[in-house]
Order: sequence, then C-alpha cells, then structure tokens
Amino acid sequence: MPLATLPTLTPALPEIFLAIASMLLLMLGVFSSEENNTRTVSYASVLVLIVAIPFVGLVTEGRTVTFGGAFVTDTFAVYIKALVLVSAATAIIMSKDYLKIQGIERFEFPVLIVLATLGMMMMISANDLIALYLGLELQSLSLYVIASFQRDSARSAEAGLKYFVLGALASGLLLYGMSMIYGFAGTTSFDTLANIFHDAHGHVSVGVIVGIVFMLAGLAFKVSAVPFHMWTPDVYEGAPTPVTALFAVAPKIAAMGLFIRVMVGPFGELGAQWQQIIIFISVASMLLGAFAAINQTNIKRLMAYSSIGHMGYALIGLAVAGTAGDAALQALGVQSMLIYLGIYMFMNIGTFACILLMKRDGRMVEGIDDLAGLSKSNPGLAMILSIFMFSMAGIPPLAGFLGKLYVFQAAIQAELYALAVIGVLASVVGAYYYIRIIKVMYFDDPVDELDRGISLEMKAILVVTGVVIVFFVFYPVPLLTGAESATAALFHK
Amino acid sequence: MYIAAVFLPLIGSLIAGMIAFVAQGAVRAEDTERKKRLDLASQLITCGAMLLASVAAILVFIAVVVNGQNGTVELFTWVDSGSLEFSWELRGDTLAVLMVTMVTVVSSMIHIYSIGYMSHDGSIPRFMGYMGLFSFFMLMLVSANNLVQLFFGWEGVGLCSYLLIGFWYDRPSANAAAIKAFVVNRIGDFGFALGIFACFFLFDSVSYDTIFSEAAAKSTATMNVFSGEFHALTIICLLLFLGAMGKSAQLGLHVWLPDAMEGPTPVSALIHAATMVTAGVFMVARMSPLFEYSDVALTVVTLIGASTAIFAATVGCVQNDIKRVIAYSTVSQLGYMFFALGVSAYSAGMFHLITHAFFKALLFLGAGSVIHAMSDEQDMRKMGGLYKLIPATYVLMWIGSLALAGIWPFSGFFSKDIILEAAWGAHTGIGQYAFWLGITAAFLTAFYSWRLIIMTFHGESRADEKTLAHVHESPKVMILPLVVLALGALFVGILSVDYFVGEHTVEFWKNSIFVLDTHKALENAHHVPIWVKFLPLVVGIGGIALAYLMYMFAPELPKALASGFQRTYQFLLNKWYFDELYDKIFVKPAFYLGRGFWKAGDGLLIDGVGPDGVAAAVQHLARRAAAMQSGYLYHYAFAMLLGVAFLVTWFLVAGA
Amino acid sequence: MIIQGLAFYMFAAITVAAGVMVISARNPVHSVLFLILAFFNSAGLFVLMGAEFLAMILVVVYVGAVAVLFMFVVMMLDISLAEMRAGFLQYLPLGAMIGFVLVMELGIIGGSWVIADNVDKNFVAPIVAMKTTNTEALGNMLYTHYVYYFQAAGMILLVAMIGAIVLTHRKRPDARKQNIGDQVSRHPSDTLEIKKVSSGSGV
Repeated sequence: MPLATLPTLTPALPEIFLAIASMLLLMLGVFSSEENNTRTVSYASVLVLIVAIPFVGLVTEGRTVTFGGAFVTDTFAVYIKALVLVSAATAIIMSKDYLKIQGIERFEFPVLIVLATLGMMMMISANDLIALYLGLELQSLSLYVIASFQRDSARSAEAGLKYFVLGALASGLLLYGMSMIYGFAGTTSFDTLANIFHDAHGHVSVGVIVGIVFMLAGLAFKVSAVPFHMWTPDVYEGAPTPVTALFAVAPKIAAMGLFIRVMVGPFGELGAQWQQIIIFISVASMLLGAFAAINQTNIKRLMAYSSIGHMGYALIGLAVAGTAGDAALQALGVQSMLIYLGIYMFMNIGTFACILLMKRDGRMVEGIDDLAGLSKSNPGLAMILSIFMFSMAGIPPLAGFLGKLYVFQAAIQAELYALAVIGVLASVVGAYYYIRIIKVMYFDDPVDELDRGISLEMKAILVVTGVVIVFFVFYPVPLLTGAESATAALFHK
Repeated sequence: MYIAAVFLPLIGSLIAGMIAFVAQGAVRAEDTERKKRLDLASQLITCGAMLLASVAAILVFIAVVVNGQNGTVELFTWVDSGSLEFSWELRGDTLAVLMVTMVTVVSSMIHIYSIGYMSHDGSIPRFMGYMGLFSFFMLMLVSANNLVQLFFGWEGVGLCSYLLIGFWYDRPSANAAAIKAFVVNRIGDFGFALGIFACFFLFDSVSYDTIFSEAAAKSTATMNVFSGEFHALTIICLLLFLGAMGKSAQLGLHVWLPDAMEGPTPVSALIHAATMVTAGVFMVARMSPLFEYSDVALTVVTLIGASTAIFAATVGCVQNDIKRVIAYSTVSQLGYMFFALGVSAYSAGMFHLITHAFFKALLFLGAGSVIHAMSDEQDMRKMGGLYKLIPATYVLMWIGSLALAGIWPFSGFFSKDIILEAAWGAHTGIGQYAFWLGITAAFLTAFYSWRLIIMTFHGESRADEKTLAHVHESPKVMILPLVVLALGALFVGILSVDYFVGEHTVEFWKNSIFVLDTHKALENAHHVPIWVKFLPLVVGIGGIALAYLMYMFAPELPKALASGFQRTYQFLLNKWYFDELYDKIFVKPAFYLGRGFWKAGDGLLIDGVGPDGVAAAVQHLARRAAAMQSGYLYHYAFAMLLGVAFLVTWFLVAGA
Repeated sequence: MIIQGLAFYMFAAITVAAGVMVISARNPVHSVLFLILAFFNSAGLFVLMGAEFLAMILVVVYVGAVAVLFMFVVMMLDISLAEMRAGFLQYLPLGAMIGFVLVMELGIIGGSWVIADNVDKNFVAPIVAMKTTNTEALGNMLYTHYVYYFQAAGMILLVAMIGAIVLTHRKRPDARKQNIGDQVSRHPSDTLEIKKVSSGSGV
C-alpha cells in the first residue's frame, strides 16, 4: 500500500484555523485572570469567528476536494459557512449579559460554541459519509454540553440530557442508514456514490432506499422536522436563552446545508425516491409548527415551534430539488431554500436578541404575558419586535414574506401545488400566534415594566437585523446572487 | 448631485418623522419649551434639506438641459428575476430633470411657507415629515426610469396625499375626504397597474428605454382582452390614462380633489395644485412614445381633457369656498394640459404644467394667507374689503389671477395660448371641440378668478367684528415664498416660451418627448389665423370685465341670475350632481351589497361555518398538538422510531 | 472452512443472545456482564475476519475499561430496574407491534439485497495479500488517508473532555490546595513573631 502524500490543506484553512484557535482560546481562558476571563475569551472567540469569515471567503468559484475526497469546498459551502459563522458570533455576543445574570460565566461557553461551529463547518464541507458523521458529532456533542450549561438548573440539565439521548438515537439511525448504503455501494465517498446512482438511472434496490430513509431520519432530527422534532420545544425552553438563540439558527442552517449536500449530491439521481419523504416531513413540520404554537405561553417554546414551522417551509425548497432530471428546477429549489435560510437567520437573531432583553428587576423572564404593555414602556423595542414578528408571519413587504414567496414560487414551478397551498394555509395559522405577540405588546394592559437599558452590542444587532428585514425588498441582490452562485456550485460540477 | 436632489427630502423627512414619533413622544405634555425646540428643529431640517435639494436640482438641470450631459444615475439593481429585471435608477433626460427642478423649487417654497402657516399647530414635526416624504415620492415618480419605480412613487404620493388630507384627523370631514381621495385614486391605480402588467406582457420589460425603443416595432401588435383582439398599445395607453385620470382628477374621477381641500392649505398648494395632480400629465408625456401610436387613446385624452376643462370652469363660477374655487380651477387647468397632450402637443402641456405650478401654488398660498388672516374662515361670502388690510396678499393674488386668466405678459398667457393654438392646429374634429371648449373655459376662468378677488378683497366687509379685529398681514416667512412664486408666475412664461414650444424646442427637449411626424399640431400652432391667436386674450379680458360688472358695479345681478336660472344654478352649485350620481350608482348599491354580504353571507354562512368553526377546530388541533409533548423522553424516542417505521413501511408498500 | 463457519455462527449467535439479555436481565449488574460477553464474542468475530488488532482493542478498551466503568457506575447508582420497568407492559403491545413490523421489513430488505456492480473498485483500501501486519496497515491508513477523520475524532474527544469538566467540575473554595509559590516566597517575618520572654513571667 503506497503511502499517501500530504493532502493540500488550503481548502480546509478555515477549519484548521478554528481548530487551532479553539485550543488557543482554551489556554487563554485557563491562563487569564479568573475575574474576567469569560469576557476576554468571549471577545476573542467572536474575533476568531469573524476572522474565519474571510478565510471561508477565499473560495470564489469552483470546487476543491482534499483529504482523499473527504472534504470539499465550493461556493455552496462558503454561503452556508458564512451564515453559520455570523450567527455563531452573534450568539456569543448576545450571551454576555445573560451568563452574568444567571451566574454561569465560564469561559468554556464561547469555546464550546467555537468548537460547535467547527463541527458545523465540517458537516457543510463533508464529502464522505464518515466525514459527515464526524462533523455532525463534533457539533452535536458541543451542543449537548452547552444545552445543560446551566447545570444547577434542573430544566437546563434535563434539556441537555434529553437532547443527548435523542441525539444519540438519531445518530444511531443515521449510522444504520449509512451502513446500508455502504453495504450496497462499498464506498462512503459522495462522489463515487453519485456516480454509482447515476449509472443506475434511479433504479436501485429497496435496501438503498431504506438506507436513505434512515439517513433522512437522522438528518431530519438535526433540523427538527416532524416527526423527529420532539426534543425541540423542551430543549429550547430548558436551555439557557443564548443557547436557544444559537440552536435556532446556526445548527439549523448547517444541518440544512448538509441536508442539501447529501440529498442533491450523492442521492440527487434518486430524487423520485426521497422527494415523497421530504414532502411529507415538510408538510408535517409546517402544520405542527403552526398549530402547536398557538397555546404556548413561554416565548422560547413558541420560538421552538416557530422554527419547526420555518424548517418545514425551507424543506419545500428541498422537495423541489427532488424533481429528478430537471437541473434548472432543482437549482431553483435549492436557491429558494438558501434565500429562505439567509432571511431566517436574520429574523431569528433579531427575535432572540429581543427575547434576551426581557428582564425584570435584573432577572430574565420569558413568558409572553411579560411583554404586555411593552409598547408603552419601551416603544422602540416593541416596534422592532413587531417588525420581526410580522416578518416571521410573512407579511409583505418584509423579508420573511419574500423568503416564503421564493419557496412557494419554486413549489409552483415544480407543480407541487398541494405543498404550496398547505404552506400558505399553515402560514395563515402561524400568523395568528406571531401577531398575538404584537397584540400583547400593544393592546394588553401593562404588567410591571421590563427593565430598560440596552447595551450597545444588542442595539447594533437589533438595528442591523431590523434594517435587513425591512429593506431587503429594496436591495435583495447580495443574498440572491450569493444563493445563486452557491447553487451553481452544486449543479455544475 | 442628482441623488442628493432626490434623497435629501427623504433624509429630512425621516429625521422629522423621528422627531415626531420618537423624540416628541418622550417629551412630557407640559414641557412646551422642549416641544417648541423640537418643532423648530424639524422645520429647519426639512426646509434646509428641501432648499439644498432644489439647489442640487438646479445644478442637475443646468448640467443636463444646458450642457447636454446624460444625467441618468443607476443606484442598484432592484429585481433580477427571469426576464423581469430593473434597477433603482434616476433618469436624466430633460423631462425628468425639468420636473425634478420644478418639484424641488416649488416644494421648498411651500415648506418655508408652512413654517408660518402651521405655526399654531400641535404636531408640526409630523406635518413637516409628511411633506418631506411626499416630496421624496414625487421626485421618485418623476425621476423613475422604469414603470415599477414610477408606480412606487405614484403610490407613495397617493399615500402621502391621504395622510396629509387627513392631517387633522380629529375632523370627521377631513377623514372622509382622505378616504374618498384614496378610494377614487385606487380606481385609477387599478387601471394603471393593469397598464404596467400589459406593458410587461407586450414588451417583456418594464424599463423605459426598452419600451420606447420597441414601441414602433410593436405599433401594430394586438392583445387578447376578454377573448377579443384589440390593438395592444391602445389598451395599454387607455389603462395608463385611467391611472392618470385618477391622479390628475379628470372628469369622472375628479370628485376627490375639491374635497381634498380639507387638508391644510400648504398641502393643497403642493400636492393638489403644483405637483401630485400633475403626475398624470407628466406620465402621459413620459409615455408619449406609446401614446403616439394610438390615435384612439389620444382622442380619448383630448375628449376627457377638454370636457374636464369646461366642466370644472362652470362649477368654479358658483362656488363660495375660496379654496374650492381654486381647486376647480386646478381641475380645469389640468383639463387644458390633457387636451394639449391629446393633440400631441406634449411640450405645450408640460409648459402649462410648469407655469401652472407656479401661479397655482401662488394662488393657493395667497388664499391660505387670506384664510390665515381671517382666522380660518374660508367662505367668501363672509369676506370682502380686505385689500386695505392685507395689501401684499392682495397684490400677489392679482399676479396669480392674471397669470391664471392668461393675460399678457404673465406666464399663463404663453402656455394657455400655445395649447389653444395647438388644439386649433391639430386640424381634427376633436381638436376643434377642444379649442372651442377651451376658449369658453378661458372666459369662465377669468370670470371666476375676478369673482374671487372682488368677493374677497373689495366691497363691504361681511365678516364679524371679532374676525375683522384680528385681520393682519401674514408674517414675512409666508410672504417671501409667495414673492418667489410670484416672480415665477411673472417671468417663467416669457423667459422660457422659446425653449418649451418655440424655436429652441428641439434642443431643449432632446429625445425626452416623442412626436410622430404626422402629428403636426404644435408646428401648425405657429401658423394659425390671427383671430385664433388673440381670442384667448380677448375672452380673458372679457371675463374680467364681466366679473367687475356683476360683482363690483351691479352686485344684485348675480342673485337675480341665480334665482332666474334656478335650475342651472343648482346644477352648477351641486357640481353637476356628480357626487349624488356616484352615491346612487356606486356607493348606495355597494352599501346594500355589503350589508347583504355581511349579514347573510359573512355573519350566517361564513362566520358560522368559517372563522368561528375553523377557529374552534384550530384551537382543538392546537391543544392536541401541544399535548403530544408529554415531556417523557421515551415518548419522544418512540415517536422517532414510529416515524422511521412509518416511512420505511410507506416505501416498502409504495415501492412494491 | 467448516470450522470457520461453525465458529462464526457460534460467535454470532452468542453475541445476539447476549445482546437480548443485556436489555432483558432483571439485575443491572447482569446486564453489564452480558454486555461484556457480547464484546468478547464480537472480538471473536473480528478475529475471524483477520482483524486481530481490532479484536484486541475491543477487548482491552471496551471490556477492560468501558464495561468495567459501567459496572462501577451501575453498582454505585443503585438503580432499581423494577421501577424503571413499571410502564413496560403498558407500552409493550404497541412497541412490540412496531418492532415486529420493522424486523419483518428489515427481513424483506435483507432478502432482496443487491450489491452494486463492480463494487470492489470502489474500496478506498482493498484488502490485498497481506504483507504487513494488521497494526501497521491500520497505522498507515489512519495517518495518511484518514488523517482528516483522525483529527476530527481528536476534536470530538477534546469536546467530550471539556464537556465532562464543564458539567461536573466544581470549585470548592474550602478545599485546601498547595501553592508552592506562596510557600516558597513566604518570609518568616510574616507569620513568626519572636518575643523575648523574660523568665518567670510566662507568655
């Protein structure tokens, strides 16, 4: 057996950078003075994540593969990684006050987020089943830990444990599916798999299909799509709020990216087989996200259902991408999904920034009732939260509306009319609970005032996300072209 | 520079808006000192922004029109989706730049005037914010380089018009007028939007350059409408013209404009005289490359324009509210502009648009000055003898009226003259129709203008003691803008007639207006019989004379006429019964229909089965869905396995 | 070949049986012991496949470390399986049905299994006539072709370590620790006071 030569490392530069940086951050945390090492490490982590963005951006076009085909970098990866890095960085920024209030300021928190981000980036760049699994586990393991980061709170510990056990089950399903695929093809490489399925012209044995079903189940768990969503509300509610803010955005986007990569890449030719499943989980997620949220009283739990619903809408794009044999249509589906995810990121970051500002007498509150009368006590915050809620509900001309418009349009083009109709109906039902929050803020009798005072970082996050949501309709081009070139990387190899 | 001209008003308006909705919200009611300061800040910022914008606009005007540069500025791509692709752009041809200059100059004068006029109002920043926002939208409208951006501005000015008519929202009549304006405009906008869709359907583009360059090629294209084949450009032009009718208050859709006088007077001057209502005229001129290929559309434009001119003039003769008289005169003058467009004399129409903007703004602001002096009295029957008390306003009103009546050498003379000559010069039946109605309307215009002046300023005062004691000349901040506008009313016509419609017309307009070689109305206008040239002036003087006769020297004559021709008088006083007619045909049936739908359809059928039923079902489902979340780990794990089992089974069964 | 076949079926059968016992034994200690049995038999299966390194690793790491750790945990936690099984019967019918359906389906899939054509050319490291030892071959693969996976696994272990510390390590302010620096830099005068005691007067 010949010894392999040293693989080119440049495509994996951002990942290598993050890996080394995370270890340096650990050292920084250990060796700096104990009073403010969390602050120091937090700022350093944000810096690391931000510096990683230009590293990621080194790829402008084309597709590079390294590590014996296990790792791929292309514009698609760049797009998703950029979103993930931004959302992870904002999650760290947003966590600062919260950790202090709850008395859980420990420098491992930002480091674990950096490590989770590393896992996400490895997932996104996975070009092999093993690489996929390792990235996924690195991400998940870090997230399990930070979900129970507030270890003295029973809720937080429970959230972490539930997430861990169910995540292990999902990983089991995923691995089982992978082993079936491997048993058929004798390879774990995406490129080889794609070739095999291409030669098979969409006719493969039922074992492969069942293997794909198992893999889908494992991946659907990560994006919390129905019926693999059960962990989401409990974990969102139990975990510390900045962790929830992270969960709602970065891992979701990364897992969606992985979902696209796997489904459109190796299994792209088998679209006819898996499209049905995607349609099913998409419809189920949209409906559950719309209905189950209605009676919630805790805003974090509500956001859990909201994100389940949003994942349902995004999966419409993937369902369109399952139209085998029509590359243009597939590209349209993926593109609409990427746009949706980009908008989803901004809406969720903004909303969670608002949730993190819900404090009374220096303590965090998270009931929807606590927002009553916010329009009087803090009109600015009430207005910007209303903007996010309207956007989530899909009210034109806000960005959330356009995101939905793109995926529904793609569904119509793919003649998935039922999917589009159900999507529209679900967003009508969903609008109820989003707008209820606005009603509570503007029309309900005020309870005790929430604390005023917004830190500069939070203000910046609110303003930036708010501006993006409101003005997207006037200048959507950056996101559109980004999504377009990302999609191009998947379909023109 | 161009960007500054368009966006400065927006910035000013946003700041004023922030002051109105954020800063003043935080000020306690008793803290009048602070409120005053914020008021002043908003006034200074918006006026400053407008003045800077007008300076920028004049510089752009010089660059584009005098130096012949192409001023088009592309900001950024707006939509790029399939074949639908367009940008935010500022078009830099003569037509656009001319309008931008006019809008910024007039608007900044009116902004300054508002400082004085609105000084006693409680929500000055809000007012200034709306005005600035309106100016921005108007500038967007005129500087658009594609139909969608035009529509953006079009709807934006509509919105601002609604907000400003209903500015005093505690008055029910202002609210009603605002809603009426909005609804009537909606009818026009509906046609306008359809016109844009049809344009995109025909040309596969909404950008002006593409549409204009392909218009000739598509001049014989047809379009399937309600399963009949029609000439495509005619359909498009008629739909677009419907939009113009709504916005420019042409006969049929004019009913909102007189009611819109409920708004503050600066609003009437800016929106409902100088700028927004002329958007329709501008749009038709802008679309001249399309209209030129549709004789039917041009005929309709002429017909509607001429009829509007005479209709509004007759009604204007009997109105008693000082602002309504001017409002009807605006409708009438817009009619002039439209029939000028209809006979392909676009440049004449635009010329009148510009001169009209100056003298009509002047008249409105003058009327505002009178109202201000009379402690908000608008009824002319309660005025009289004011010329000694407010001499400056009196002189300025004279200048405005002379311009309106078309007396040499005031601006109105030149523009109105060329329109009437062009109508004659069209040598068509419809041209003759427009010419004779226009002449009659010119006579009536002069008549009602002097009726207004005499009733307001001369004779015995009919006001009560208290009001009279308060009468005072307006402050300088109000008079100065009036003087500027008066200068415009005096000199714009005589200075620019050669450029607009005279010998330099080609190098002035360049390619921004398109006229087919076969449409020679404007050329012929310079070679009409001598009596045609002098008739407008003669009837104008005649109208003035008649007004003097009836209201100065024989004040009992109008009453006698009114009682003698009771029916005619009532007919005119009630504005040809348009409102009553619409009420009978549209409003009442709509109410009946609505009530029927509400009680029977909505209440019984839909609510019973629909919302209430659906809502109950949704609540039920929501409870069920939430109940699935038991909190037990093994339930969750079981649900996942169940899901996998279901999917696998599905595939085995479906695959088999 | 026959002996090999017999050995395979023996190991395989015992592995599966032990697996069943792990989840059905009443005493948790028994469960762990059955787990160890299953590990041993899996190691036997590895040996049959010629992967003696993996077999040894399995015995050393899983049996020697992991399972024994499990044993300690189980014994220390004092779990009553009877309590945990309280709801077992309640869910048994539905669970058994689903389980049965899944097993049947997997049976069908296994029965109709097809392997892709020319599958052997897809292998990254096909088994060639062995000239090297198992360990050397694994080493070669792990540090060359699979260096990425190797490093990624390393990162995962790092996270596991951080996680374990974050979630369980507690600062005990009252715990006494040795600080050598302090000790060394201590000066007698800080703590020691020398007094002259005159005789007969006491301290």
